[in-house]
Amino acid sequence: MKEKTIWIIDDDPIYQIIMKKIIVKSEIFSSNFSFSDGKEAIDSLKKIILKNEKFPDIILLDIEMPILDGWGFMEEFALLKPQINAEIKIYISSSSIAIEDKERAQNNPGILGYMSKPVTLDNLIKIAS
Amino acid sequence: MKLTKSLTSHNNWFIIKPKLTGILVFLLFCIVFSLIISQQYQIAKKAKYDAMRAKLQAIHKSIDESLKNYYVDALTLSLSINDKGIPENFEAVGKQILATNPNIDAVQLVPNGIIKYTYPEKGNQAAKGIDILNSKKYCFEAFKAIETRKMYFAGPFELRQGGLGILGRLAIYKNNKFWGFSAVIIRLETLLKKPEFVNLDHSKYFFQFSKINLNTKKETFILNTKEKLDPENAVTSIIPDGDWKLYLVDKKPNELVFPFVIRSLLALFLASLIGFLITSFFKKPAELEILLRKQSDKLLKNEIKFKSIFDQAAVGITYVDSHTGKFSEVNKRFCELTGYSSEESKSMDLESITHPEDIKKSLLFLEKLYKHEIEEFSLEKRYISKYGKIIWVNITVSPLWKKGETPSNHIVIIEDISKRKKADKIIIDSQKRIESLINTVDGIVWECDAKTLEFNFISKKVEDILGYTSEEWINTPDFWTNHILPKDKEFTLRYCEEQTALKQNHDFEYRIIAKDGTIVWMRDIVNVIVENNEAKSLRGIMIDVTKTKEIEKELNNSFNLVSEQNKRLLNFSYIVSHNLRSHTSNISSIVDLIETSESEEEKEEMVQLLKSVSDSLNETMLNLNEIVNIQTNVGIVTENLNLKQYLDNTLSILGDQIELKGVTVVSSIDDTIEVNYNPAYLQSVLYNLISNAIRYSHHDRNPVINIDCYIENKKTVVQISDNGIGIDLNKNGHKIFGMYKKFSTHKDSKGIGLFITKNQIDAMGGSITVESEPNLGTTFKVYIS
Repeated sequence: MKEKTIWIIDDDPIYQIIMKKIIVKSEIFSSNFSFSDGKEAIDSLKKIILKNEKFPDIILLDIEMPILDGWGFMEEFALLKPQINAEIKIYISSSSIAIEDKERAQNNPGILGYMSKPVTLDNLIKIAS
Repeated sequence: MKLTKSLTSHNNWFIIKPKLTGILVFLLFCIVFSLIISQQYQIAKKAKYDAMRAKLQAIHKSIDESLKNYYVDALTLSLSINDKGIPENFEAVGKQILATNPNIDAVQLVPNGIIKYTYPEKGNQAAKGIDILNSKKYCFEAFKAIETRKMYFAGPFELRQGGLGILGRLAIYKNNKFWGFSAVIIRLETLLKKPEFVNLDHSKYFFQFSKINLNTKKETFILNTKEKLDPENAVTSIIPDGDWKLYLVDKKPNELVFPFVIRSLLALFLASLIGFLITSFFKKPAELEILLRKQSDKLLKNEIKFKSIFDQAAVGITYVDSHTGKFSEVNKRFCELTGYSSEESKSMDLESITHPEDIKKSLLFLEKLYKHEIEEFSLEKRYISKYGKIIWVNITVSPLWKKGETPSNHIVIIEDISKRKKADKIIIDSQKRIESLINTVDGIVWECDAKTLEFNFISKKVEDILGYTSEEWINTPDFWTNHILPKDKEFTLRYCEEQTALKQNHDFEYRIIAKDGTIVWMRDIVNVIVENNEAKSLRGIMIDVTKTKEIEKELNNSFNLVSEQNKRLLNFSYIVSHNLRSHTSNISSIVDLIETSESEEEKEEMVQLLKSVSDSLNETMLNLNEIVNIQTNVGIVTENLNLKQYLDNTLSILGDQIELKGVTVVSSIDDTIEVNYNPAYLQSVLYNLISNAIRYSHHDRNPVINIDCYIENKKTVVQISDNGIGIDLNKNGHKIFGMYKKFSTHKDSKGIGLFITKNQIDAMGGSITVESEPNLGTTFKVYIS
């Protein structure tokens, strides 16, 4: 259980700080990383593939982001998927309450769930188990 | 009249039988010629015989003279007898007589009928002593001499000395007592040896004479001739002193016949020639006469035929006297048509039967006909029947005079067209009704050929709707195609062709350029008329839908406006959901963390965090307020602003940044350009766009910003373009002007500038567009209306 890694991809620095606090408190994850947009996260994934390092277990993905947003990330991720030999659980965490976004998330097989902000500790435990 | 006719027929008889006429003429001439010829013959013959008779007379006279001489001689001899009845110097006297008259052979004195004295005695002894009064041979002649008391010549008879001779006896009376005879013997030869006789043309005639025996009354021909005597061909003369008959016989009795035969033949030839000529002369007229008869027969038949045609024709026919205008003859049908009898019609003329309104028209045509301006004419007009009924007729008038002649008569053929007129009227009425119906329809009713698209009908409404007359529409080829708005033409024609090919009725809209140049929206509802499984023609109605279209456009505009507002509203909800909720969710999370904080230090950290969230929330609220202000502020004040002045102002505000990044600003805007805008908005728009251009400059090259102003489609365009990092419009184009949309992780990026800019431009009634290529640069165009 202690070996799990979680990535937070969100452009809101305050949210990143809050999530770090919650992740530490949950004591489920051995490490966590934050990315302020999708492009940074994709670049990191590419690095992991190259160096054959450990892939994250869970990714919490925001939708609205500059450079590469959540949907853009999912597209890029799908391209990298064949090279990823581990299971990465991707959840959307967004402040958007638009139904379209929820539906779009549901229709994407790569996304396991949709979490509306704020993300609580209980939510985190639930997805990690 | 009858006489002429019979004469004519008589003449005709001659003319018709030319052969018979020829023969008759020939015979007539034969008779005439033969009469003439026979007359001539008779005359010639008489002349010939007259000549012969004259000749004979001359001979006769000559003989007579000789005989008289002999009488003198005989008398002389008798004087030699003395009173005693004895001759004295007989010998000497005899000798003297013989000497003076050589024709006398011998002289004799015969006292008492007994030959006693003869001189010369020699040769005549035989006769001495013959008692002639008692000789049967001589007594008749002797007594004849006594009886007549003249010298009577006996013989001729054979002389004892040979040859023929005659004996002239003169009875001598002495003292009134018969004494005897004094006789002379003459040779016949010498008697006949007369010049008249000798000179006779013996080739033509021959001479003969005969003695009529006193005793037997028998005629004895004296001269020996070879020719046979035909009394027919001879002339005769009787010498009573000797009872001789002289004959002059024509040796060539037929010499006259031959020339007359020739003449006859000639006459015959002439007669036959005349006959032949007459025949041939009459032959031609005969042929002509026969032809004439045939023709006149034919003419008669034709006349009968035409008469029956005239009478029984299904159309009215009249002969009209061109001078008086009266009907000289009318047929049955005319009478039926007009109700007037044939007699009644004759006292009527054109004007009395024609409808008053049509008289002028009729007379006009007739005048033209009379003046030879037209050769004939047809006219539809109205007659008024005897019973006052109006009859529609079609008349055809043909003149019966030749060109150049003065008008005499003309024929009028009258056809009853009342029924047709009635039908025509019904058709015209119904046509008019349909036409007026069509013309009242509030649309252009039309018909055209399916292939050529040439119009054969277009209702008058076209003039009301488009200004074109239906005539110019129909008469100009491709009128419709040429007046469709060029923009719509291809689509319209293609659609029309496709639907026609499918034989499908169609309903579509396009624009037409009206006569006054305005553009009219047309809804065209088209029916395809199919004949023999082929689209034959198209019929339809064009309805002016310009107003509907305008309403539609307005509707569309308001729809667009509403959708735009909806979009903004949605955007607003996003703002609420994303921007406000992100703050509230952060607050909620921080509050949770504060509650579960284990140390004061941690709590303090969270409170600081909460403070920054509060600041962000405040800023967001301010932005939202500003946007709401822009969107709700309807009556924004606008004024004419000098563009250059505002640009310079903006550039001076951004002066520090420009200098810091080494940006080159190239502006083509001069100080003459003025725009009608809200001053704050103009400042804000320029500031946002130029500061964006500076902010997103490419760090590999010197930033260059170009600012231009020009007119495009009657709108002023301010264009700001840079050579910065650009935006991937394929990915972000849809949200470039959205709120809090950022396209980079640039630290100054707030995602609000373009959103506000767009809202301000929209509020001014303009628009903004963007063109961009990643890593090349971006161009914004601001349209100022």
